[in-house]
Amino acid sequence: MVKSSLVRQALLLATLAFVPGLVQAIYFGDKFSWRSPVPASEMVTVTQARAWGENATWVDARPDNEFARDHVPGALPLNEDRWSELLPQFLAAWSPEKKVVIYCSSEGCNASREVAQRLRKEAQLPNVFVLEGGWEEWLKTSR
Amino acid sequence: MVSEMNQPALNSQLSTIPQFVWRVVDVIVGRIFIYAGAIKVLDPVQFATDIDNYKILPWTIGVGLAFYLPWLEIFCGLALILRRLYLGGLSILTALVAVFLAATIAAKIRGLDITCGCFGHASQNWNFPAHLALDLAILGALLALSFRVVSGNRLQNAV
Repeated sequence: MVKSSLVRQALLLATLAFVPGLVQAIYFGDKFSWRSPVPASEMVTVTQARAWGENATWVDARPDNEFARDHVPGALPLNEDRWSELLPQFLAAWSPEKKVVIYCSSEGCNASREVAQRLRKEAQLPNVFVLEGGWEEWLKTSR
Repeated sequence: MVSEMNQPALNSQLSTIPQFVWRVVDVIVGRIFIYAGAIKVLDPVQFATDIDNYKILPWTIGVGLAFYLPWLEIFCGLALILRRLYLGGLSILTALVAVFLAATIAAKIRGLDITCGCFGHASQNWNFPAHLALDLAILGALLALSFRVVSGNRLQNAV
């Protein structure tokens, strides 16, 4: 008796809460990305980033060994493991006119977001973008 | 009514607590969840980031939960205060707090520096013991309310 009314009530509440949640998700639709914690305005696709050509500085946020194996031509290494060592090197090569495109291994990795956030907050850099799909996506579109 | 008359026979410490005390607990716990839900409704993207910090769920699911869970907390909080769909609200909130407690402890064990986001910015500087103490207190209150309902129902069925 208790169990059946408990389940019925819980289902009813769960359904009721779904309605305003859905409305709110539609309302907030353009303020976030369902694919990544980075706002859509701070993401860039491989095609867009390639189109920037010389106006983009590529940053590889993957670990050193992965960078050494292969990377986007001209990309600079900047990972959190050696942040204090690599940041000055990056800043020396950085140009305010150029956009910064950061990538890590794939869609699911977090390093590019972390590095992008630190560059914005700690180094106060504008025009910092995270590459959608990361290195995997770069490889796919390069074939 | 029947359960009130048979309270001494129940031989339970919880059943000797006056009815109004339970109502006060209902209202306090209900208001906590309404407040916690309302704060998160105002900034769902921040709540999604807080969920993501636990590194348990993919971002897409975290975003979905960030829009859904605050409203679920509000509705369940209202259920406790208004005593409508009471059992359902109580069980959902108990499950939510239990899952949240487990996730918090797991995050701590994994060495994650998390912001739970339970009470928006008000709780962002709370340390782990403070989070744990509050969550355990809320879970204790919810379990006590559940026990009261179950024991009251047993008596009604027995009479």
